Amino acid sequence: MIDSAYLWQCLVLIALGTIAIRFSIIAVSERVVITERTKEIFSFIPAAIVPALIAPSVFFHKGSAAIVMGKERLIVLLVATVISFLTRSTLLTIALGLLGLYLMRFF
Amino acid sequence: MTFQLNKLFIKGFKAMLPITTGVIPFGMVMGSVSAEAKLTLFQSTAMNLMLYAGAAQLAAVDLMKKNTAFAVVVVTAVVINLRFLLYSAAISPMLQRTSFFKKLICAHGLTDQTYAVMSAHQSQLKSPAETITFFLGASACMFLAWQASVLVGFLFGNFAPESLALDYAVPLSFVALVVPTLKNKKYVLVAVFSSIVSVLLTSVPYRLGLIITALLSIVFAVFLTRKKKVSS
Repeated sequence: MIDSAYLWQCLVLIALGTIAIRFSIIAVSERVVITERTKEIFSFIPAAIVPALIAPSVFFHKGSAAIVMGKERLIVLLVATVISFLTRSTLLTIALGLLGLYLMRFF
Repeated sequence: MTFQLNKLFIKGFKAMLPITTGVIPFGMVMGSVSAEAKLTLFQSTAMNLMLYAGAAQLAAVDLMKKNTAFAVVVVTAVVINLRFLLYSAAISPMLQRTSFFKKLICAHGLTDQTYAVMSAHQSQLKSPAETITFFLGASACMFLAWQASVLVGFLFGNFAPESLALDYAVPLSFVALVVPTLKNKKYVLVAVFSSIVSVLLTSVPYRLGLIITALLSIVFAVFLTRKKKVSS
């Protein structure tokens, strides 16, 4: 059981910190000129951060498919990347990715 | 004009729908973890509304369950959310000359998924106002999916059998989000760089590896896109 006062203290401070982060640049942006060069750099943000959100958990995941030494999640993710590139469809990428994972375990 | 904007709100809402297949399993995991840690339904719901940040919530509940020092819990969760700084910067040009209230709503709506959906569709959106309406539609969908799935997870626990591996829908949905933003070889290089560095930095404590990787990847992008000096 988590102590109620401790929990609320944590939650309120995390919430304040989080909204401060989310609001920060929005709040000051009218006083800051955003150049084309800055926008170009901003366009790299997804490529810079999203792979880092997923790569470690997938790379170190211990799976059960013996033929790929338990690395089925990593291999399916690479295949899903190709599927996403070819189809640009979120639903197909997720559906075929999950299907691929089941197939890998089956063999 | 209003009709046009309403259509964009719905377009944003619809663009988010397929992404929720990755969000819902994550939300259900979050809900069942909260129930397991003996949070009350009120505490779980309040956390969802106030924080609205899955990865930070998951880390915070895990640490609080282990009675971790107050400062460590707060700093860890806030550091995980530092990536929103980048999203705040990315959406800020669209929000100039809008009301404080709208800015606050959009700020709270910034998540990995809503940001990525917005940037994936940005080339089709003609003005800042259109982009914000689209973003609000996407945010509404994301918010409903997250709140509902955490509630379901909290009330019913992990009812999906583990063998279905629905947690794997989370990385798959991130792939589907990031690939359309890779406009040329430089973006692909940055994504590959980010993957490799994040794996190398995985043992850095408090998930700081994520922040360091993002910063290094941005530096790498700056280097890749630098203007070459004309040699005489």
